[in-house]
Amino acid sequence: MNLEKVVFGFFVTLAATLNFGFFIGDISDPELHNEYELFAAVVVNLVATVLKFGDRTQIGAVHLSTSLVADLQLIAATIVWAYAAHVSTEGLTAGATASIVSLSGGALLANVVSLVLLVVETGSFRRS
Amino acid sequence: MSSAPGRTAEPEPARRRRPAGVVSGVPASATIFLILRRMRAPLITLILIFAVSVLGLTLIPGQDTAGQPWRMSIFDSFYFMSYTATTIGFGELPYPFTDAQRLWVMGTIYLTVIGWAYAISALLSLLQDRAFRSALALQHFSRKVTRLREPFLLIAGYGQTGELLGRSFDELGRRFTVIDVQDARIDALELDTLRADVPGLVADARNPHHLEVAGLGHPFCEGVLALTDDDEVNLAVTMTAALLRPELTVVARTTSAVIAERMGAFGNPTVINPFDRFGDHLRLALRCPAAYQLMTWLESGPGAELPPRGSAPAPGRWVVCGYGRFGRHFTADLRAEGLAVTVIEPQPEGEDQDDPDVVVGEESDPAVMTRADLAHAVGFVAGTDNDTTNLSLVAAARRINPDLFVAARQNEPTSAALFAAMDVDALLVPTEVIAHEIYAQLSTPLLWRFVRELPGQDDAWAAALIDRLTEECGTHLGVLWKVRLNRAEAPSLGVWLDRGALRLGDLLRSPDDREERLPVVPLLLIRGGECVLAPDDDVTLRAGDELLLAGRPMARRALEKTLMVDAVPEYLLSGRRVPVSWIWRRITRQQPPLTR
Repeated sequence: MNLEKVVFGFFVTLAATLNFGFFIGDISDPELHNEYELFAAVVVNLVATVLKFGDRTQIGAVHLSTSLVADLQLIAATIVWAYAAHVSTEGLTAGATASIVSLSGGALLANVVSLVLLVVETGSFRRS
Repeated sequence: MSSAPGRTAEPEPARRRRPAGVVSGVPASATIFLILRRMRAPLITLILIFAVSVLGLTLIPGQDTAGQPWRMSIFDSFYFMSYTATTIGFGELPYPFTDAQRLWVMGTIYLTVIGWAYAISALLSLLQDRAFRSALALQHFSRKVTRLREPFLLIAGYGQTGELLGRSFDELGRRFTVIDVQDARIDALELDTLRADVPGLVADARNPHHLEVAGLGHPFCEGVLALTDDDEVNLAVTMTAALLRPELTVVARTTSAVIAERMGAFGNPTVINPFDRFGDHLRLALRCPAAYQLMTWLESGPGAELPPRGSAPAPGRWVVCGYGRFGRHFTADLRAEGLAVTVIEPQPEGEDQDDPDVVVGEESDPAVMTRADLAHAVGFVAGTDNDTTNLSLVAAARRINPDLFVAARQNEPTSAALFAAMDVDALLVPTEVIAHEIYAQLSTPLLWRFVRELPGQDDAWAAALIDRLTEECGTHLGVLWKVRLNRAEAPSLGVWLDRGALRLGDLLRSPDDREERLPVVPLLLIRGGECVLAPDDDVTLRAGDELLLAGRPMARRALEKTLMVDAVPEYLLSGRRVPVSWIWRRITRQQPPLTR
């Protein structure tokens, strides 16, 4: 067992699950989407990205790019959240919540791709 | 007009099958990957420290100015942590903190400082790292080589020889890349005041991958020079070049006949053995000093001063000290000239012990010197591989017989001043011999042809040629260049060459005033494989002739005008000025002869 692989798999999966947890629920209802969960998702996604640094294989490169996409989407979501909650006069409206959640939904897709890659990599391990 | 003398026509970048098995170029992003890989731990630490600090701040209860309970949002705490962690420190925003918050912030301040310090020190130590720096240098080097867009030479080994050659080629405007195993040599390359930017790499030339990076696979690479002082490495370079790019010119140096044999097994490399060449040179110097003087001058590159002419000793017996590889070569050369040779050697091997011409004993021993009977010899060779020994031998030999012709071998470049002060009659500096040989071969192919034809000429002829050269160009060698009388290089001469009306003397008249002759000396004329050395002015030129000329750059430009402008040959031959422009021709109703 390779500890590096354990940590790597853990963070990739955790990033996806946290992302999923934030995403699920009525898209425009702010009650159903916890900001701390978004915060955790951002942090775990960043860690997962850094873990993918420096892998020169083809699959490593795709891993890194999906992770960067997820980061981008989640950071966009937090910026929208910060704007809605702190800058805009209307506060966290249904529309703002919807755009935050849909951005995180995009990140979720990227994370799912990451997960698929992880599974594929594991599956092809024996043969290579 | 900056094209260098003797520059060969630009080769078509040949479409080439990429040899299989060589690791293709360095991935451009290799260093980035290295940085990213090493920065993993510090970055993750930083992210975690930030996450924990921000999370803590949002969870700890605070109060606003009115004393109402209030909690920082994630946005506020991230803002606070950002300016605190980066030591900007705007203060406690938006409301003054409670003691509980201050307690937490105190911890996070120290944590983030540690996180930053760790990340920055990791980055700095990475920049200092040897592997990283060499990866960076390799990438930089391979980028420079890939960007070369003109023919270049690959020089493996940048010692004394490489440096001398590099300077000469740079003087000619030729490009080259360098690979050497010592970083001191690459530093020397970078500090040298060469005109062109020369890419240099610290790497082992035995590794085909390094040669590939240095441009072996580059379409503009025109030759490989294996000049390291290690025969094994030179052999490896020759082999690699012959296997991966069989069409390239390969020049290798070695002092061993066995290695030379092994190099010859791969393709058709030019192998230069400095000892062998020095023997040939000295034989030439003994037979005709002026020819030797001419050869050394022409091989020294543009701007070189005329070397002094030695005087050959009367035929007689020679004494050779040091019967190593050099001594053996040299003795054989002298014997081939029909000269008697006495050898002094402390430890003769095998059959040498029975040779009556071998005096066994330490060279520095006066008794041994007496047995060699220096007083009745004409020549003395100090050929050991130790400069101090050689110098003291020369001094001792001169004391016994001041009229000796003395040849010495200089091993270290640092001893140059001492040998110069000794004023020996012939000095072997292996590195210079190699550099001059290679220069003669690669600068202009015709020069090499000329040098090879020299030994067949007599002394008076060579002396006369030197006189002509000094008359036209002074005692500093001008440029040597090649002219091919064909459509591309001499379009204006077409019809004159076909009629057989153009003599060499006419071609070399000044295009401004035909009574004046250009200060140019023709050294060689090649016509269909036949060559004429120093052709005289009455030679009739034909299409396809090749000329090797020596002269000042100004004369070269004037000759180029003759070769390019249609109206000039007419003027040179008949003295009639023909209008150059179409309009003027219409007005004066003069037609130039059909040139095409």
